[in-house]
Amino acid sequence: MLVLKTLARGPMHGWGIAQSIQEISEDILRVEEGSLYPALHRMQLDGLIDAEWGQSENNRRAKFYQLTARGRKVLADETDHWRQLARAIALVMETA
Amino acid sequence: MNKLAKRLRALWHRQELDRDLEDEMAFHLAMSEQSGRDPMAARRRLGNAAALKESCRDLWAFAALEAWWQDLRYALRTLKNNPLVTATAIVALGLGIGANTTIFTVVNSALSFDMGVDHIERIVTLTPGEGLENAGPASSPQFDILNLRSQVKTVESLAAYRYSAVNVSDAHALPERFWRVQMTPSGWAMVRQKPQLGRGFGPDDERADAPPVVMLSHKVWDQRYGADPAIVGKAVRIDDVDHVVVGVMPSGAQFPEDTDLWTPLTLRDLANSSILRDLLVFGRLADGATMAAAQSEVDGVARRAIAGKVNGPAVRVRPFLEMIGVYNMRPILIAMVFAVGFVLLIVCADVANLLLARAAARSREISIRIAIGAGRARIVRQLLVESVLLSAAGGIAGWLVALAGLRWFDNLSQQGHTPSWVHFSMDARSFAYLAAISIGAGILFGLAPALQLAKVDVIGAIKDGGRGAEGPRGRKLAGALVGFQMALCVILLAAGGLMIHSTVNLYSMPLSIDPSNVLTMRLGLPDTKYASEDSVRSFYQHLKTELASVPGAKSVAITSNLPVGGWSDLRGEVEGTGSNYVGEIDVLTVDGGYFAALEAHLLRGRMFDPTESGSASQVVVSESFAQKFWPAQEPLGKRLRVLGRQGPKPWLEVVGVAPEIQQNLMSPLGRMPLVYLSYDANPARSAFVIARTAVPPATLTDSFRRIVQSLDENLPAQNVLPLGDRIDQSRLNVTAFSKLFAIFAAIALVLAWVGLYAVVAHAVSRRTQEIGIRMAMGGTHRDIFGLVVKQGMRQVIVGFIAGLPLAILVTRILSRGLVGVSPSDPATYAGVVLVLGMAGLLGCAIPARRAVRVDPLSALRHE
Repeated sequence: MLVLKTLARGPMHGWGIAQSIQEISEDILRVEEGSLYPALHRMQLDGLIDAEWGQSENNRRAKFYQLTARGRKVLADETDHWRQLARAIALVMETA
Repeated sequence: MNKLAKRLRALWHRQELDRDLEDEMAFHLAMSEQSGRDPMAARRRLGNAAALKESCRDLWAFAALEAWWQDLRYALRTLKNNPLVTATAIVALGLGIGANTTIFTVVNSALSFDMGVDHIERIVTLTPGEGLENAGPASSPQFDILNLRSQVKTVESLAAYRYSAVNVSDAHALPERFWRVQMTPSGWAMVRQKPQLGRGFGPDDERADAPPVVMLSHKVWDQRYGADPAIVGKAVRIDDVDHVVVGVMPSGAQFPEDTDLWTPLTLRDLANSSILRDLLVFGRLADGATMAAAQSEVDGVARRAIAGKVNGPAVRVRPFLEMIGVYNMRPILIAMVFAVGFVLLIVCADVANLLLARAAARSREISIRIAIGAGRARIVRQLLVESVLLSAAGGIAGWLVALAGLRWFDNLSQQGHTPSWVHFSMDARSFAYLAAISIGAGILFGLAPALQLAKVDVIGAIKDGGRGAEGPRGRKLAGALVGFQMALCVILLAAGGLMIHSTVNLYSMPLSIDPSNVLTMRLGLPDTKYASEDSVRSFYQHLKTELASVPGAKSVAITSNLPVGGWSDLRGEVEGTGSNYVGEIDVLTVDGGYFAALEAHLLRGRMFDPTESGSASQVVVSESFAQKFWPAQEPLGKRLRVLGRQGPKPWLEVVGVAPEIQQNLMSPLGRMPLVYLSYDANPARSAFVIARTAVPPATLTDSFRRIVQSLDENLPAQNVLPLGDRIDQSRLNVTAFSKLFAIFAAIALVLAWVGLYAVVAHAVSRRTQEIGIRMAMGGTHRDIFGLVVKQGMRQVIVGFIAGLPLAILVTRILSRGLVGVSPSDPATYAGVVLVLGMAGLLGCAIPARRAVRVDPLSALRHE
């Protein structure tokens, strides 16, 4: 879900995704780099994201991932689901 | 689906995928370094790059499938590297699987009973029970098919038919004799097939005044009428009466019996015949009705219709299938499937032993594979792939064997009579069976050695250098397999022995005649042309004179039944010392020249007078008849008479005693008390002509046919055959089965012997060193020989202990196919023990001799 959300901002390569999640979450969430790539490949196979080879900012050949229409839909669903869950948890925690 | 497409593309661009992964990782590391990490830390963060790539690649690939593919390639390589083992196994498996497929195909089609009728097992026949038989002619049931139909609720669409041979004569071809079924049109309600041309019979055809019509079988339409598409509406002459063809049935249709023609049984025919006695009544069990319910209902209806006391059931309701010979052979056919299955099990045990022996040599290879990380499950799978591949190759060989086997069966069936639904060709079910047993066999013989290998002691095996790694468990398994083979072998030998014993009995039955140089043929005169007894008599008299004048024919006679060709049972009364016997007597009707033509000499007295009036009061009985009714008395001059339906016939005086001529093939060893009536006094339209010839009988076939033609151009001469051929044909059932069982038993014996020999020989070569030490320590040749033989024979004895009781149990199934042998015939079992014991000793003695020749010195240096 986090990967999809990150990609919602535009195409990005693996390293970028990891960095961006880390930055936005203010270093709280650190992506396990070893499991990032298998996860990306799985999502690509499932048709949630697409990949394309392009030039990186430092002029190297890099694989850029971007959301597909299906990926967007899954992201929306997951976001809804997350909101509900978060609200439920918040309710329970604050009603104590 | 999309996913599949992506994976397939990845499979195609395998190298591209690898490079991309490589690049992606390299880029990541580069970026990581750029952001200030040192290269080692960057690599640590990313983890094991190889494993990472591997897990990404697995995502894109058909991991499971590819592993199978790998196993398959590896298995192929292994099998190719051991050509001898592979070839041996494939040949053995091919024979085993092929034999199984052949027998399955034959038995499956024989038991399909596909006569074009749905749920044929629900069709029942109504036949007279003992009650009706004993009630005598006076109390014939006062009912007909119509009131039976209205009263019986458990059996639907009751119909009746009779089966007879008719002569068909018309301009299309020479006259031919065909089998005709005369059936009430209601019987057609049970048949699924519709005529391929024209119409079937309807209620109108049942009327007493209906014009004669006929339906042709596909075979007759095709062979006699050249598949004439305009046949419907044309006339065909049946027994000299024109019948209009209304329809042609498709090929394969033959209900209720093997039939050439069908005509409707009209109400007039019904009125002229006694139901149950002259006609076979049948119907379909109503939904939900059981055989027992039908039996009690029908019997009740019949009893009410019979005037007088009835002892025992008046009518018997039985499955229609019981009338079919093959149905009664069912246990023996199924036994055959099991027998050949046992052969395959023995093959499997042999191959398993072969693989076990090789397992010892492979334990090092397997240990290394386990040591570098192959899971044991993966090893077992790999080995199973190997054995299934082996058995699949065996399956292909088996397919070829089955094709040959089916051809053999086809040839065999040409000699005898085979129901039309039996096809000797492979269908989808046969192929499914072939595939199932091929794969099943592979798993069966591969599993034990594979599990054995997967449990290998890795360290020990690698240290040991691949020798002596075969543990005691492997040896025990090999021994158990041999014991198992021996047990199966005992069963098959017992079955084969019993069947061979039956065949011997069959050929040693008392024929009392010399069947060579006797030509036979069957004639049936139509009652339309030969209405009076005199015309029948004079036709046959004429025929006899003509046939006797053929050069090469010595003497000619007429009989109602040929030797080993059945008899008719009549009710009769036999004069006794105290009271007279009244009941069934078994009768043949023969003319005065019968025994002379068979060159059988009367034991006492003389033959009937050759004239009608002279022989009308005379009778000849068989020796056993005389002994049964007049023991230790003079049979000549005693009297007996036939009790006809219209009352007793005149008393007949015994003028001669005939030797035993076997009429009953089903119990060929039994003696059957027979009465020979005079044909001249009791002429019948349908009869056999027999002729003793001075030349080989087959050479006279054509001249006999021609003479029949010259006397009556519309009369077909049916089955002009030498008597010897006919007798062989009637023996065919038993001889064919015993041939098969003997073949199975022989194969089983050879295979089991090979298994025993291999295991003992293997044990000897493994123990060379030990034997050397024993001899060096003073062990004599006798000791060593005894040691080896004792060890081998232990398995044979285990086989006996397990196999003999099983065999006695299993061979009971065969009892129907046995002739004059009990399923637990002690002589046969003694033979089995003797044969297998000898084979076992031989199998042990050859390796034991080699053990004895071991030179102690070289054996000790063997290391």
